[in-house]
Amino acid sequence: MERRFRRDLSSLQDVFQFVSEFLSAHGLDASNAHDLELILEELFTNVLKYRKDGAETVAVRLERNGETITLSFQEFDVDAFDITKLPEPDLERPASERPIGGLGIHLIRKLAESVGYEYKDRVSTTTVTKKVGDDV
Amino acid sequence: MFDIKVEGDGSVKLIGRLDASQTDRAREVLKEVEGPVTLDLSDLEYISSAGIGVIMETYKRLHGKGLSLRLVRLKPAVRAVFGFAGLERVLAIE
Repeated sequence: MERRFRRDLSSLQDVFQFVSEFLSAHGLDASNAHDLELILEELFTNVLKYRKDGAETVAVRLERNGETITLSFQEFDVDAFDITKLPEPDLERPASERPIGGLGIHLIRKLAESVGYEYKDRVSTTTVTKKVGDDV
Repeated sequence: MFDIKVEGDGSVKLIGRLDASQTDRAREVLKEVEGPVTLDLSDLEYISSAGIGVIMETYKRLHGKGLSLRLVRLKPAVRAVFGFAGLERVLAIE
């Protein structure tokens, strides 16, 4: 299943609804929604915060292959932004010294089985895999 | 759906889903509270890094005044997110 969403915070609830529709269509338990929603929210809000260029919409594709769910997140007409190359935040710092933000990509890495990236013809594609039923 | 309720005993209850679209509402309430504050998360179903950011802002503001912020009664999924964020050991989470 694939759907496009406007690059606007008001699209976030539609993104979550898309996850629910995908799970229903594949007969998957709603307990799978939490991690998929969190991964998608972090990818989506990362675009809103840091990516000022690009097309008006982003594309989200969800696929089930056996016991694995593959999530693809595409931006169009953008410069490359490979989240797999970003440094890890320093989680050893005291809470009072932590910067606000910078956690989103780290959470994706913790929740996902794998995170991949491809950039071609100004299309940026982040691909995340997640095991079915592997909710937190 | 997200809701936030300030209760009379220094407790603030977060209810529902604290995603990026709800942080303004949470921030508006939390910036007014004075410690020591206990955040009751027993009815919080979902939190993202944006929601954690609002809690960290509150923690830093109170910490700067020598006041405490405790997080209590976390559901497993929410506790896991705090754990992944490396905050389970550094915030007062019970």
